[in-house]
Amino acid sequence: MDVRLARGRRAPGPVLVDRTGSRAALGASFGVRAAFIWPALVAILFVSIFPLLASLYISVSRLRLRRGGFEFRFIGLDNFRELYTGGEQSHFLGVTRPLTPLGWLVFAAAVALLLWGLVRAWQAGTALLGMVLRLLGALLAAGAAWLVTRTLLAHGGRPGTAVVTVVYVLFGVAVQFTLGLGLAYLLTQRLPGQRFFRVVFLLPMMITPVGVAYMFRMLTDTGKGPLQPLWAAVGLSDFSWVNDPWGARVAVMVGDVWQWTPFMFIILLAALEGQDVNVVEAAMVDGANRWQAFRHVSLPAILPVCTTVILIRLIEAFKIIDLPNILTNGGPGTATESLSLHAYIRWRTLDLGQSAAVAYSLLFIVTVVALSYVNLVRRRLAEE
Amino acid sequence: MVLNPLRRRSVTDLPLLGKLAAYLTLGVWTLVVLFPLYWLAITSFKLPIQVNAGPVYLPFVDFRPSLDAWHYIFVDLRGDTLRPYLNTVVVAVGSSTVALLLGAAAAYALIRFPYRPRIGVIALFAVCVLGAAVAVVLGVPTPIAVVAAAGSFALLAAAVGRRFRRTLSNRDIAFWMISQRILPPVAVVIPIYVLFQHLHLLDTRLALVITYAATNLPIVVWLMRDYFNTLPWELEEAAVVDGASTFRVFRSITLPLSVPGLVATFLIVFVFAWNEYLLALFLSSADAQTMPITVAAQNATRGPQWWYMSVLIQIMIVPVIALAIALERVISRGLLVGAVKG
Amino acid sequence: MTRRPLRRWAACIAGVSLLVAACGGGGKSKSSQSEGGKTHNGVEVTVLTFTGPQIAEPLQRRAPDFAQKTGAKIKVVTVPFSDLYDKILADLATGTNSYDAFVFDPQWMGDFVPPGYLEDVTDRVKGDQALNWNDIAPFFRDFSASYKGRTYTVPLDGDFQMVYYRSDLLKKDGLKPPATWDDYLSIAQRYNGKDLNGDGKADYGSCIAKKRSAQSYWMAWSVAGSYLQSQGTTQGSFFDADTMKPLVNNEAFGAALDVYKKTTQYAPKDELNLDVGDTRGLFTSGRCALSADWGDIGTLAIDKKTSTVEDKVGAVIMPGSRKVLDRASGKLVDCDSHTCPHAVDGVNHAPFAAFGGWSGAINASADKKVKDAAYDFLSYMSAPEQSNVDVTLGKTGFNPYRASQFQNVDLWVKAGMSKGAAENYLGAIRDSLQSPNMILDLRVPKSAQYEGTVLDTAVAQFLAGEISRDDAMKRIEEGWEKITNDEGRDQQKQAYAASLNIQR
Repeated sequence: MDVRLARGRRAPGPVLVDRTGSRAALGASFGVRAAFIWPALVAILFVSIFPLLASLYISVSRLRLRRGGFEFRFIGLDNFRELYTGGEQSHFLGVTRPLTPLGWLVFAAAVALLLWGLVRAWQAGTALLGMVLRLLGALLAAGAAWLVTRTLLAHGGRPGTAVVTVVYVLFGVAVQFTLGLGLAYLLTQRLPGQRFFRVVFLLPMMITPVGVAYMFRMLTDTGKGPLQPLWAAVGLSDFSWVNDPWGARVAVMVGDVWQWTPFMFIILLAALEGQDVNVVEAAMVDGANRWQAFRHVSLPAILPVCTTVILIRLIEAFKIIDLPNILTNGGPGTATESLSLHAYIRWRTLDLGQSAAVAYSLLFIVTVVALSYVNLVRRRLAEE
Repeated sequence: MVLNPLRRRSVTDLPLLGKLAAYLTLGVWTLVVLFPLYWLAITSFKLPIQVNAGPVYLPFVDFRPSLDAWHYIFVDLRGDTLRPYLNTVVVAVGSSTVALLLGAAAAYALIRFPYRPRIGVIALFAVCVLGAAVAVVLGVPTPIAVVAAAGSFALLAAAVGRRFRRTLSNRDIAFWMISQRILPPVAVVIPIYVLFQHLHLLDTRLALVITYAATNLPIVVWLMRDYFNTLPWELEEAAVVDGASTFRVFRSITLPLSVPGLVATFLIVFVFAWNEYLLALFLSSADAQTMPITVAAQNATRGPQWWYMSVLIQIMIVPVIALAIALERVISRGLLVGAVKG
Repeated sequence: MTRRPLRRWAACIAGVSLLVAACGGGGKSKSSQSEGGKTHNGVEVTVLTFTGPQIAEPLQRRAPDFAQKTGAKIKVVTVPFSDLYDKILADLATGTNSYDAFVFDPQWMGDFVPPGYLEDVTDRVKGDQALNWNDIAPFFRDFSASYKGRTYTVPLDGDFQMVYYRSDLLKKDGLKPPATWDDYLSIAQRYNGKDLNGDGKADYGSCIAKKRSAQSYWMAWSVAGSYLQSQGTTQGSFFDADTMKPLVNNEAFGAALDVYKKTTQYAPKDELNLDVGDTRGLFTSGRCALSADWGDIGTLAIDKKTSTVEDKVGAVIMPGSRKVLDRASGKLVDCDSHTCPHAVDGVNHAPFAAFGGWSGAINASADKKVKDAAYDFLSYMSAPEQSNVDVTLGKTGFNPYRASQFQNVDLWVKAGMSKGAAENYLGAIRDSLQSPNMILDLRVPKSAQYEGTVLDTAVAQFLAGEISRDDAMKRIEEGWEKITNDEGRDQQKQAYAASLNIQR
């Protein structure tokens, strides 16, 4: 087998093949097909329909406690208006300011990328409905890019909870995936002592998130925490990370990476272990170096798992709450507050309407991101 | 047998330099993982005054360890520690098993059987549910609204299905499943509380098992889908040709071959259920409380009681680590591809 | 493992877990035994509070004794502190009623009493000899436990804030405890950066819990209170009782915010992330010269497991101000007999009964027999015979609230305080409790939103430098006005007046 493939060509064979029409499937009667999937559907529907509807209604109403119970007063889109254009705008979206040169550069690059994607889709002959959806998606993405650059890469801008959450997610998922994949790869090489490392690397995920957050609170405390000598050695002994917005955010991100890398690690490990070692060996015998073997043989084989695990982690990462809550309660000020924490703080004082409005904004953002991701990535995997 | 580290046994083994680099990386990450846990462990042996004064690192060298916190958790609290522990075990094992079984079946179905749910029918279903909800809000008694909605759905489904033929695919079903995980728990906790209140299942382990199984199902489905896809389907084809039923194929061929994936998924879902906080807090009060709640509860009016919290976190990790050690061997078995070619 | 045993294992585990889970409830939680022939024989009372040991421990400790006496089973259920409010409300509002009694923060009465969730105990306490209602300090009797003139709770604890200082340091340098906030700042400045506990590290002048969503907003209000309220408790400090206009956007509140921010200069560099657990730990390990806190530091200081400053701690009534707010003009005016009738040495003190003091209340929807038993248990816990011992023990979390508790120094000496320290601590408590200008914490519907969401967020942002002082004041005002208008301005005004026992 010759793995010295030309640049850009994928490994032979589509990665995700639709086998639903195969003979194994045709043999199944309607009853069997129903029996396989309906239990799961019923379980999910049972727990999700009512909460979904109820929280949707809550987001367009206001709670009031009444004699013998409570009432929800319908107020239309007031909660959302408050978030997007009203008093909570600087909390939710952030404070926008004129862009720095770097900001302009980044924004221009983002817009260029989106345009290029649209043009390509048009040239590939996408249907009209598809183009309209893509256009909408691109507009939303451009709007998001505008918001992000105007709060992060601007003179005196301040990111709101939505932007901070996006930063957490992008950084977190990227680092966790790279680390997880790297560690999983290392531990599928024949190294003595593998088992020890494998078990140890699983540990962070095993701890309840609330516990992890308290643990990091202990570690980062400059009075009681153990890392003071380390900071002093590096010259940072006077730096109070908790008073610095970005210092606090970095602490949250570090905690997040520490805690969730095992998730990527274990799934990718199982996937890499499932590979046929003979194929890889044959490739390397043929003269491919380690990196080429990985890039052209292993990676394509585990690509579906990679995209799945990134999608799952993406969705989970948007809900980050325990770390910012317990490390600094969203502080300093509102610097580390994530969307979920924003909703939780409102919810705790019974501002259920606002809380649900934030949660539904989160739902909207993540759905758009997940849909785009699924369409762009997995569709490509299933095609030649 | 002594292995000469300088001589590679196979071309896929790392060269010596590579091995060193690998161990260095692994060592660094091990330190990163273990140091916080070490700190946690020694905190559980400290008195409050030793925690507050400043960091001390080595027991017996820097400070005198004390069993005060352990005594409090195990002796003073006894039942209040044992009960949540037992609850957590039952709930985690129960919900993960249910999720795994239902999810694996659904995952298999989604990659083998073509489902073509009509958009029209689904939209009708959504409209009927919405209608029932609006009716209940406006004052119609719940049973009547539900029956009316169900009835109208049954009547109109066939007609709507014939009229609007556009269908969704398996991919869309899968996406819908994972999209159930997008809403943060804080948004749904009170409606779920009300739901289980109406079913008189509050403060029971059953409520938690159902909730966790349902919320973790999408993860099982997505992870197992990819894993099943890597299995050689020729085996299944052959079995079907030989006359085996679908269920037989699934049970006897697919499941056994996918044990590593099943085990990894089980571990993940188990951990999610083991560690979940907010839903457990609201669905339980006295009898069905789980461990994460006791951990969080250590932050009271006096601030976090680090010493007790450390003890609780450690005893929470122990069974999960044991499970991980036991299951890790299964994950690393890998797929016996040879069975197909032979 | 071959496939058949694996499958069987899976089926076994699934079956067993489902079976066990299907057993419905989990293990039964701790409860005490009942005896025959007693007043409440066979009655079971479920009491909800937060996970201790504070507050929950004395309840759990005394439950068996109570069972011995009366035959009632007391089941104490605990939940995490930060979620207690939501749990109670979810339970009551949805009609689940799984709890018969609560030990909670009476500030929440503003949300629980109007919908009728709590049992009116006015007549019970009046006729209760053992409870000795009149022994309870007037503030806690007349304000903390009542709403619209009726009593709904049985006080178990007295929560108000004081300032603590290192008496050894001040004595050595011949300084008096701070009487105004300027004094506080100058003392803090003097000791900041010096080594106060002999360990060679620089220590701090002032430690106040400024962490967001923790206790910071109460601390801020403790500072602001003496600028805003001078005519006695009934004047109120949060709103103008006639117009319901928030008193947060004026010169006085601005001055208070400046003071509050200035204390950060003499504090640990992490102060913005410290909650009371951290500041108490710092103070009792000798690293702070001053702190503002509830009564816990006094009892924590004598606990050998937590403290190195035994006998070096003094307490004083919350510092006040020589200038107060003139509500008509919104400006600061000097204190005189007219503007500050309750001033001591020209300084207006307004100790803040932050949070209110943990109290017991009864679920109005419980069975009559259960309510009777619940009331007897709460009365038992609050009776001087039990309460006076519990308040001397640091781990109970109960702070003094009865006159008899700070008159009798012996109990405190027995608990470990030196006579001098006990007299000083109790003296400060007495000064605060007897002050006619004590501030009642806000208790109108949605008080949690006023304080916990709007006030807390704005103060946190101001301290962090995210927004300016005037911006913060404007935000608080706008946020509060919004909540007031949403709830119904008239309703909120009536509730506010009712909480302050304003007779119209």
